[in-house]
Amino acid sequence: MRGGRAAVLPDETGAAMLPSVVNYSEGRAPLVGAAALALGSQFPADTLMSVKRFMGRGSSDAASDAQRSHYRLAEAEQGLVRFVTSGGEVSPVEASAEILRVLRQRAVDTLGGEIDGAVITVPAYFDEAQRQATKDAATLAGLRVLRLMNEPTAAAVAYGLDSAEQGVIAVYDLGGGTFDISILRLQKGVFEVLATGGDTALGGDDLDGVLADWVLQQSGAPDLSSSQYRQLQAAARAAKERLSDEQEVDIDLQGVLSAGGSLRVTREIFEDLIQPLVKRTLRACRKCLRDAGLDADVDNIVMVGGSTRVPLVREAVAGFFKRPPLIDIDPDEVVAIGAAIQADILVGNRPEGDLLLLDVIPLSLGIETMGGLVEKIVPRNTTIPVSRAQEFTTFKDGQTALSVHIVQGEREMVSDCRSLAQFELRGIPPMVAGAARIRVTFQVDADGLLNVSAREEITGTRTSITVKPSFGLSDEEIADMLQSSFSHAEEDKAARQLAEERLAAWQLLEGLKSALQADGDTLLDGEERAAISAKMTELQALVEGQDADAIRNHTERLGRLSEAFAARRMDKSIRSALAGVSLDSFDDEVTQ
Amino acid sequence: MSSPDFQRNYFELFDLPVAYALDQDKLGTRYRQLQRELHPDRFAGRSAHEQRLAVQYSSLVNEAYATLRKPLPRALYLLEIAGMSAETIAGQPLDGGFLIQQMELREKLEEMEDLVDPETALDHLVTEIGEDVAVLQEQFSRAYSAQEMTAAAGACVKMQYLDKLLREAEQLESRLID
Repeated sequence: MRGGRAAVLPDETGAAMLPSVVNYSEGRAPLVGAAALALGSQFPADTLMSVKRFMGRGSSDAASDAQRSHYRLAEAEQGLVRFVTSGGEVSPVEASAEILRVLRQRAVDTLGGEIDGAVITVPAYFDEAQRQATKDAATLAGLRVLRLMNEPTAAAVAYGLDSAEQGVIAVYDLGGGTFDISILRLQKGVFEVLATGGDTALGGDDLDGVLADWVLQQSGAPDLSSSQYRQLQAAARAAKERLSDEQEVDIDLQGVLSAGGSLRVTREIFEDLIQPLVKRTLRACRKCLRDAGLDADVDNIVMVGGSTRVPLVREAVAGFFKRPPLIDIDPDEVVAIGAAIQADILVGNRPEGDLLLLDVIPLSLGIETMGGLVEKIVPRNTTIPVSRAQEFTTFKDGQTALSVHIVQGEREMVSDCRSLAQFELRGIPPMVAGAARIRVTFQVDADGLLNVSAREEITGTRTSITVKPSFGLSDEEIADMLQSSFSHAEEDKAARQLAEERLAAWQLLEGLKSALQADGDTLLDGEERAAISAKMTELQALVEGQDADAIRNHTERLGRLSEAFAARRMDKSIRSALAGVSLDSFDDEVTQ
Repeated sequence: MSSPDFQRNYFELFDLPVAYALDQDKLGTRYRQLQRELHPDRFAGRSAHEQRLAVQYSSLVNEAYATLRKPLPRALYLLEIAGMSAETIAGQPLDGGFLIQQMELREKLEEMEDLVDPETALDHLVTEIGEDVAVLQEQFSRAYSAQEMTAAAGACVKMQYLDKLLREAEQLESRLID
């Protein structure tokens, strides 16, 4: 953000986009970006190009995607995807972290100084495991994640703020690997996502794919080697891009076919080839509109993703929604600009009340019940954050443990949904069968990430939870990976930890100081206030010191001590918020 | 840790009268106003404790909004705060006529995919169910105002049946779109 406007930071050569490509090779640090891309057709298995597609996925369900991209997958014990490269085994999380590290460095070099935090965007249709993997990658790259944000929502923000529009916005996002459609309503500075949908198995890469297949068919080419196929894909992609401006182009087959040569393709042929794919995106649009409870009557359509430059795509979208889409902001940059605006809001650089985003969970969360069926706990398109509780009981006398299986997806059978985690609830007090009442609370936060807690209601015992993530990483694994990535810089790590603890302490102290000033007299009695002040003084004394552990412990203690005060302030702000509204609506009535 | 004040009922949370008839504009405006104050995005730079609290409060407001916004969950919630348990509501006896009508509607829905023009037939069926729902809403509203809770619960159970049917109709519609 510069002078209140978001700008995309270019690298030293002036290029704004960093291709999400990582190349691994023995004995040297991984290459990222254009340099890696250049090695793509020569070393297909060492050059990871669409790593986003593999985030948080199991090796079995990613196997066919991997084969298409000519990657080698490791036999994983936990079911998590790992690529086998010349530089060793790599997880999608680690590869993503390499990309994020380069971007972080670019920001540090350009802006001068450490960055406060990052808003990381994800496809709206990412499930919980894919979101968690993304957050893990950011943590691994040394970024503090302010918020995970859905890409279509970010795009809407990029447009919405400038024009201060009111109304319904559709975001059509044809990315490389996925298609997302979101319907939002903007009202008095609040963006409310009404519904989101899409097709995870359809993207801009598929437009290149059908053209590549057509080339193969036309030239009667035999089976291609993996490097020849990469070359062909790149040629098809280039042809797709040029066909947005030109009526016909020649596809260069040098390096693809041993005979070389070229093949002419017209825009008409290309449009015939992609027509079925474009239709599929419109079907998803229709479904999403219905989920939002609307007909095709939207006020604005925002286009995201390079493939929305294809004229046929624009025409089809305009025809479907009966109005031309917005294309003023570069579709490759619009998401980044929206994310920058959101980051600016989150760190508090904008006036209070400027803009608020209310997003939804894209896929239903459920639990396994008898016979392998799914019982939905949080249906898709529910606004987040959301908390839902479910009661369980025991079915045997004296039973002290209970297992809960959490899945995500829309299908009725557990086997057709995504397995997220298995929880073992332990420490249930022994009772007769059916007497225990175990209340399990599923909390989805504003990042779309799930937290689970459990409590036995009769005795009030908190049951401990063992989480076995089906995918994703456990906290220990992240800690291990962080450890190994920082092992060459132990001091860095300690310094960073101290800085983080200090920051947390400062945030709490500063927040409390202003809270006490505002509400200390009215919401606290003398004793409570004195206790909080005493702990604040203690923490204040520690925060300039070097003992990270002591700072953390005292921050934690002061936080707990001041919790009731914070809750009273929340209650107070509910009352004052409504008092304000009542006046506002009174004004409206008067002026009408 | 301390939790939001769950003692307050959802109507009070939005400063609205406890009633079935509801001013949707007011509900929407107050919902957005509360989220402006309580959403975790407003606490991104604050302490971990405050952030957790914001997630809880914001969740409560979302849940309250989702409950009051739509007629069926709102009706069920009114019965709940009147002290009627979910078991009592579900246990309401249904008259034979209603059940037979339900079976007929369900049969129509199941046979729809074999029709020449399933879309139009489905549209008709959805309209028909919608009219039935409107009648039941009126029934609930009258019974609830008269504090006849058993009759109100009876109307609610019937609405639940029709709601389930509507959701199945929606699923059929999305199959037809594909």
